[in-house]
Amino acid sequence: MTPRELRERVVITGIGLVSPLGIGRTDAWAAALAGRSGAGPVTHFDASGHGAQIAFEVKGFDPLTYIDRRAARRMDRSSHLAVAAAALAIEDAGLVIPPDAERYGAVISTGNGGNATYEDAHRTLLERGPDRISPVALPMIICNMAAGHVSIAYGLKGPLACVLTACASSLHALGEAADIIRRGAADVMLAGGSEAAITPYAMAALDASRAMSHRNDDPVGASRPFDAERDGFVLGEAGAILVLERMDLALERDATIVAEIAGYGATSDAHHITEPHPEGCEQAQAIRRALASGGIDPASVDHVNAHATSTLAGDASEVQGIITALGARDAERIAVSATKSMHGHCLGATGALEAALTALAVADQAVPPTINLDCLDPACFGVDHVRTARNQVIRTALCSGFGFGGHNAVLAICRVGA
Amino acid sequence: MSPRRRVVVTGIGVVCALGVGREDVWRNTIAGTPCGAPIDGIEIGDAPVRMACQAHGFVVEDFVDRRLARRADRTTHFALAAGRLALADARLAISEDGRGTGCILGTGTGGNHVRDENHTIMLERGVDRISPFAIPYSMCNHPPAEVAMQLGLRGPTMAMVTACAAGADAVGTSAAVIRRGDAQAMLAGGTDAMITPLWIAGFDAMRVLSRREDDPAGAVRPFDLARDGFLIGEGAAILVLEELGHATARGATIICEIAGYGASADAHHITDPDPTGQSQARAMRAAIAEAGVDPGDIGYINAHGGASRPGDPSEVAAMRLVLGDVHAARTAVSATKAMHGHCMGATGALEAALTVLAVADGRIPPTINLRDLDPECAGVDHVVGVAREARLSAALSTNNGLGGHNAALVFVPWQGR
Repeated sequence: MTPRELRERVVITGIGLVSPLGIGRTDAWAAALAGRSGAGPVTHFDASGHGAQIAFEVKGFDPLTYIDRRAARRMDRSSHLAVAAAALAIEDAGLVIPPDAERYGAVISTGNGGNATYEDAHRTLLERGPDRISPVALPMIICNMAAGHVSIAYGLKGPLACVLTACASSLHALGEAADIIRRGAADVMLAGGSEAAITPYAMAALDASRAMSHRNDDPVGASRPFDAERDGFVLGEAGAILVLERMDLALERDATIVAEIAGYGATSDAHHITEPHPEGCEQAQAIRRALASGGIDPASVDHVNAHATSTLAGDASEVQGIITALGARDAERIAVSATKSMHGHCLGATGALEAALTALAVADQAVPPTINLDCLDPACFGVDHVRTARNQVIRTALCSGFGFGGHNAVLAICRVGA
Repeated sequence: MSPRRRVVVTGIGVVCALGVGREDVWRNTIAGTPCGAPIDGIEIGDAPVRMACQAHGFVVEDFVDRRLARRADRTTHFALAAGRLALADARLAISEDGRGTGCILGTGTGGNHVRDENHTIMLERGVDRISPFAIPYSMCNHPPAEVAMQLGLRGPTMAMVTACAAGADAVGTSAAVIRRGDAQAMLAGGTDAMITPLWIAGFDAMRVLSRREDDPAGAVRPFDLARDGFLIGEGAAILVLEELGHATARGATIICEIAGYGASADAHHITDPDPTGQSQARAMRAAIAEAGVDPGDIGYINAHGGASRPGDPSEVAAMRLVLGDVHAARTAVSATKAMHGHCMGATGALEAALTVLAVADGRIPPTINLRDLDPECAGVDHVVGVAREARLSAALSTNNGLGGHNAALVFVPWQGR
């Protein structure tokens, strides 16, 4: 494979996070390195009747900081989070969007779209009848509306999409957005995801699929990937959007490059609707594809930000997948962290949030920890689990995301030399 | 850069109000069969609009096992049927490991029936009565995931959710996946089953549904002066896309080539289209440029034609911008939604399939119900009422979605090389 030319390379030049770890890149990254958990009892609604009563909520977020009151009223919280994250990403990138931004697009994903609006509207329909449904209900519910609002708010007139693969959604969003740039259809893409599913029905329905932690008396200790005592994921919410740019143009405008999205692999398990393949075969294949697509030496992988949601089956199969893809010997020295221990499972936003943390790890040459990993499950042996943050050389880092339905996505994020 | 991989269409699977399977649907399309009718067999309560374009010919048990037929959403049922029909039409055998083939399907909202049912159960009987399948079977990505599971596809698999442009974006993105070398074949299309009380009420609140209750067959009238909105349609359409070398190596029958895809955003308004047509024109231009054809080569456009007051004129304006007034006036345009209704996330794929068939078959489907052309929609050669024969050197299918998504696809005939 011939080396890619600069105009075929895609770099991250801005990061916008509205997350349980904090608002803004700096705060969120500091919290991640400090191993701080954003978990607590659910406050968005009365969850006392629910099986899972804890969550990672975004604290201190006022949509009106980013969106005018009239527009904000016509958006679901999932769009608030996206528009705010986009504002932060654009600011972080020092990006000036021209008035006729035909070469600027967006791929913003989600798992569920406007949950709160859906629940209100459907309840209204059942209790008060069809003529009481608001004309803005449908647009506020549909999954692509966060992308629509971001494009309207910042005048992005290029390709505009929302790819949806459950919990892998925003990793696919980043991968597809990078491909849109690579194939010449845009120069700059805002890519990522948003999710606001801490709502009565979404939480109850997720819990019904029996994948959530019920450690309600210990919110901070509940999300414990790879730990022998793990009992499921803890729901989070977030907006996480990255600015991706064609590398030659980013250099031309003297942008600060955080890292390069050098590879992307997408595969499907074709195995089971909620369970991962126990050996992680197709997850391994996604890792191989991500490395091969960028011509990256597998031996250069120094860090993996794991999907690791803290479920029994998922965490173990993921470690197997890493070992299968990279070999047992190399896997042993790879620093693996599961940042969901600190920010929870933000569903459609989680991949972009984790990709942001992976890019920051590459930029800072520092690995965030997996917290709550007190007693490593033997089924998760075979990689170097990071329990406290540390500085180390990271040439290539992988960020993995897997979704209900068997969707696997892996990004290979590389350091860009001086 | 290495030369661009070429992508061809080798199979079509369709299920919609026009019929089940490629032949059935195409025959009824060319015949100009209206599908608008009073809603029958779906519980819609006191919905304010009581007509739609239902896929009455679809028998779920013909395509889906009993367990999934009972538990999974109608959105997924349609997808499985279209996927199986498409594979059979392409005579494509999936390899043992399945890694060369993926699936991208558009949808507007995923498994509505499953979600509404479980939300109702929660409200009436409590949080612990929700089905464990409530989330997996209502997710927008369940249709492509289930198609991948049932057919053994292990390549890139995802849902594309760009409202009414989703089916077209799914087809275009699938072609891109093949071009970049991530798959040799893709099942690409869309599926939706949005004839539900919530969406009827939601669309009606937006004033986008036709209220012509006394004339369901004549309710959807794109470009007509008396148009008053669309009827909700339902169904799925899936194309088998293949890398050219892969298709020829296995001796596949090539239906046509997918030569270009363009996408753009209005960045204008959540529900209203860009009235100038400039935004839609950008998507069309990008698709034509990727295809390497001249705008003057476009002989047919399958329009989005949602029969909305502001939408139809803005779409014609876009065509005139792209083609120029002289060529636009002689370019055949039809809106097949007049027959099959607005199939939401499936509609772009269904219309792409009909465009493919127009190119391959040399016949252009009509816009039915177009009696009195709105002067604001003049300037193109509307195919009014009856199909016509035409040898096409390129055809365009265009779609627009709520939120400001525009997508366009260019298909060219396959001439043996």
